[in-house]
Amino acid sequence: MIEWRNGRLEGVRVTEGGDGPLTAVVGQSVLFAKLQDLLAWGRKSSLWPLNFGLSCCFVEMATSFTSVYDVARFGAEVARGSPRQADVLVVSGTVFLKVAPVIKQLYEQMLEPRWVISMGSCSNSGGMFDAYSVVQGVDKFIPVDVYMPGCPPPPHAFMECLLLLQNMVGSERRPLSWHFGPQEVQRPIMPSMRDAKREERMSQREYPGIDVLPRTDLLSPHFAGQPDGRSKGKS
Amino acid sequence: MTLQVSALSGASIGEQTGLVSELMAHFGLGGPLVTVQSTKDVIPTIWVKRHQLRDVLRYVKSELPRPFPMLFDLSATDERLRRNHEGLPIGTFTVFYHLFSFDRNQSLRIKVALDDEALSLPSSIDLWPNADWYEREIFDMFGIQFEGHPFLRRILMPSWWEGYPLRKDHPSRATEVGLFQMPPERLVMTQDALQFKPEDWGLARTYHDRDSDFDYMFINLGPAHTGTHGVLRLVAQLAGEEIVNIVPDIGFHHRSQEKIAERQTWHSFIPYTDRIDYLQGVLNEMPYCLAVERLAGITVPPRAQVIRVMMSEFYRIASHLVWYGTFAGDVGALSPVFYMFNDRERILSIVEAVCGGRMHPNWLRIGGVARDLPVGWDQLVRQFIDWFPSRLDDYEGLVMDNPILKQRTVGIGVLSLEDAIAWGATGPMLRACGLPWDLRKVRPYSGYEQFDFEVPTASNGDCYDRAVVHMLELRQSLRIIRQCLDSMPSGPYTSLDPLATPPLKQHTLQDIETLINHFVGVSWGPVLPPGEAEVSTESSKGQTSYYLTSDGSQFSYRTRIRTPSFVHIQMVPLMARGELLSDLLAVLGSVDYVLSDVDR
Repeated sequence: MIEWRNGRLEGVRVTEGGDGPLTAVVGQSVLFAKLQDLLAWGRKSSLWPLNFGLSCCFVEMATSFTSVYDVARFGAEVARGSPRQADVLVVSGTVFLKVAPVIKQLYEQMLEPRWVISMGSCSNSGGMFDAYSVVQGVDKFIPVDVYMPGCPPPPHAFMECLLLLQNMVGSERRPLSWHFGPQEVQRPIMPSMRDAKREERMSQREYPGIDVLPRTDLLSPHFAGQPDGRSKGKS
Repeated sequence: MTLQVSALSGASIGEQTGLVSELMAHFGLGGPLVTVQSTKDVIPTIWVKRHQLRDVLRYVKSELPRPFPMLFDLSATDERLRRNHEGLPIGTFTVFYHLFSFDRNQSLRIKVALDDEALSLPSSIDLWPNADWYEREIFDMFGIQFEGHPFLRRILMPSWWEGYPLRKDHPSRATEVGLFQMPPERLVMTQDALQFKPEDWGLARTYHDRDSDFDYMFINLGPAHTGTHGVLRLVAQLAGEEIVNIVPDIGFHHRSQEKIAERQTWHSFIPYTDRIDYLQGVLNEMPYCLAVERLAGITVPPRAQVIRVMMSEFYRIASHLVWYGTFAGDVGALSPVFYMFNDRERILSIVEAVCGGRMHPNWLRIGGVARDLPVGWDQLVRQFIDWFPSRLDDYEGLVMDNPILKQRTVGIGVLSLEDAIAWGATGPMLRACGLPWDLRKVRPYSGYEQFDFEVPTASNGDCYDRAVVHMLELRQSLRIIRQCLDSMPSGPYTSLDPLATPPLKQHTLQDIETLINHFVGVSWGPVLPPGEAEVSTESSKGQTSYYLTSDGSQFSYRTRIRTPSFVHIQMVPLMARGELLSDLLAVLGSVDYVLSDVDR
């Protein structure tokens, strides 16, 4: 697994100027890796989603593209209008009977390798819409890689699932040759998040009261989008 | 424009009897009028004979002094399982026409009973053009025929669907009808059903005349298209770049909300209303809760009313911001949406602090709100409303003064006031045509009459003017929120009425009677007295109305949800004809719609 942060490989000591040892200078700009690792890393870091939205969840997905959340940090902001250019299909919303063939066709138009995130309860299982016009889960007709709970999941849940998918894509190994090595895609076994988070969940036995709000600053830098640094309104 | 009407009653009883006696005087005894029904919403409701329906409709549309020019809603009810007939001439199905008169500021409901042997009515497209989709919806959902309708076919369900979903014998749940599967042959069949054939819609493939002879081009937009803001499909008939006609195809977002309402308790349908128009949270819950409260006769305490108003206005701003950003994006300005989503995020922070949810707050309750405002809410609200006006100034420079945006939108998609009324437009669409019609002003509910605000209008009815109205409304909403902040009344946040939900738990451990009532109220839900009530409110996109029929149980017998987007999408062909193809997205962008609000 390659670890690369801020344009540099992890663990490489960087010397300013050109008078350092040759290996350190080379280490800043040259990366040694196995080809399949490198490809997996490239795939992982540029998961382009299909610009396709169904319902409420899509608004939260779109929110994660805007500057407060900024999914561009993970290389996944390049929403494609054509399924032929997309890597990830995010099924963001209720899967209706009438739209199911459309989703199926979009999925089939995507090129391999392709992945599917099922966003929100409706897409996972039908959710609260156990109704005649709703398919009870998109996995009835296309395979799903990551299920995201929530109705709708907030933008940071979308990003968490994107990172989970990145982990999976990064450790997936695909055949490089028709002659050597395994010919099928080797997928890692993904951990169950329910189990992984059990301890954290069980430790939360006491919740802070919701009757008194913590003091929050709506205008803090957490909310980006104030390029001129203005903090108070004119009027 | 200021009318002194109380918060809970639209028209007074006097007005109701006035209109009915006018109609009685014209038609006389033994005429088309069968009976007059009294409803909880005091909307004059008359039952007419089936074969004389057209006479009555034509009379109230054009001959009656101060007529009813707008078909506000049109739908039906399956009456076969109805227990409480209340002496009404109920058949197997009832079709109801909800008309509206601006001159009178009054609604009129006309009902006609149908029997199994003759499930058909004459179409009223010639009177109100928007009857087109309503009648198709009734055909789709109930299987009632409309004679003279040119394209009477399914609108929400796919064409291969069997059965009529809103009939009482149709299954409600997907889990009742077996596992969904999509083998290849089904995929082919369902994709074939989506094929567009111009002849089916009366469109010619070629154009002939003395001088020219050419083929029309048909362009398909959607249901997966970035410009349609969701799963909407439009097929445009083009002569070169010019739009000759458009056929919208909806139903890709049909969540069967009206059917679900018949199986949820009055209380547990509230979260579903959130998802009718997913951008405007509380604004959906408002008409539903008001309608239930009118059925049950619950009075909402003042603090709860003002909390409702405040959260409604926050959601109006949030919804308008999404619209504002995507509208600008549709005509090519990509950066505004980033600014506006930032502000929306701030609003959602406030909403989350108060309600606990972001998009779906599930915050209103029958008789009040879910809980009291948290300590410290005023600081958050004040911070936002002090800061937001300067952002609005920025947006004006960024979007409204932008010369490219002006060129793309001024004079595009013009809608005349007459057309707007005839096609049932409400909300910003109507106000952009020059009519200052806002239910918060003209038929106040939830205490809106106590607030000081204006109803912004524009005059040209084009895409730019719709944006102007939206933008000015943002400032008015801010004004209302400021008044809520400055004069939030004290007192209880929910009603003490036994039918209010959830029932208060205070006395349950002191005597058995209260404990039993609490247990029943929580586990079964409140049982509302039989009756009918409709409440229409000004939501972000237009008038949303819930027309509830109670049969004296803990479920609704029929919930009719009238949404503005359904009507407005029907008007897209009207606005886009004669424009260029690139203007279609400007028109679509200017129509503030959400697909879940179209298809429900």
